[in-house]
Amino acid sequence: MLSSTRSTAVLALRAKPSSFSVPYRSVAMISSSASKAAAAAAVSRPHDVVGNPETPPPMSVTGKARREVPLPSQEGKKGVMQYALTTLDQIANWARQGSLWPMTFGLACCAVEMMHLSTPRYDQDRLGIIFRASPRQSDVMIVAGTLTNKMAPALRQVYDQMPEPRWVISMGSCANGGGYYHYSYSVTRGCDRIVPVDIYVPGCPPTSEALMYGIFQLQKKMRHTKITRMWYRK
Amino acid sequence: MSTILRTIANLRKAGVKDALHQMQHIGDTKAGTLVATDRFGNKYYENLQDELPLRTRWVDYKEYEEDPSQIEPGWHAWISYMVDKPPTQDALLETQVRAWELPEHRPNLTMSRSAFKTYSTVKPKLNAWAPVMSPRQ
Repeated sequence: MLSSTRSTAVLALRAKPSSFSVPYRSVAMISSSASKAAAAAAVSRPHDVVGNPETPPPMSVTGKARREVPLPSQEGKKGVMQYALTTLDQIANWARQGSLWPMTFGLACCAVEMMHLSTPRYDQDRLGIIFRASPRQSDVMIVAGTLTNKMAPALRQVYDQMPEPRWVISMGSCANGGGYYHYSYSVTRGCDRIVPVDIYVPGCPPTSEALMYGIFQLQKKMRHTKITRMWYRK
Repeated sequence: MSTILRTIANLRKAGVKDALHQMQHIGDTKAGTLVATDRFGNKYYENLQDELPLRTRWVDYKEYEEDPSQIEPGWHAWISYMVDKPPTQDALLETQVRAWELPEHRPNLTMSRSAFKTYSTVKPKLNAWAPVMSPRQ
């Protein structure tokens, strides 16, 4: 269901024109496949010559070669070692996602919604989430609110004090990318300029449900983390 | 799992297989009537008598990687107590799929291969210079 529902129009828009010599084409021309086929036939293909390497794979928008990588959930398990390590990973991930201790970095009105998550209606304690005041005891930092330039060094310091493994949830449009205060002289345009962010929760402010959904997404990310398998691969 | 007596009572009502399935997914045993199964395969249950308010309607997800966005809009309204009747009986939802709607419900595709990635459709501001060399005389 996930992959089949993608409409073809979006994919056609996403396709890169095959020739780089034409810098700009209209959207209608990009989406038509006939012009691309004509352009491909016109250029002489170097791998037609015997001994030459094949043409490189088509480039994506970013310029890197597009590679289809299976998702962690789609990878199969081969051998006894992978089965054992996968089980170990599952146990570790289960423990991690079952006791998520957030460092509350409440900076603005988003913090009020973050507080609502701990009140009885949404009751984060049932998910094992307990707010900690100290970064040295916490796993997750929820950056809730506008991050100003003056606060940014403190945020980084708090993040550096957190022990591994650690995650960051960026909550609200101000923390995601500046939001309403994007053009202000004193606001950091997104906390991902300071710390690596795992989950972005959109909204201004996001509801408590949205933050809880973000936490579920983080738990999903944790479930697919390959801890011992990556260690074994080295 | 609230109390042991409630858990055991619901286990007897729901059956061992369903109760273990519920403990795995919901973390509680619940007994209720199956309202309907949606197009995706999620099962929706209801028990208005024995359960506490706001816990009377619940969903049994089809997929193991469950996600609230797998619930269709009509069922979302029902499970969030916006409407009284499920979409199978609701008169407003009998119009089925409208022309502007997607043919089937699309869940949140984040962290899947179909996740949205930004792309640009505007003319690039910088263009690479393609050198053209006239042939040597």
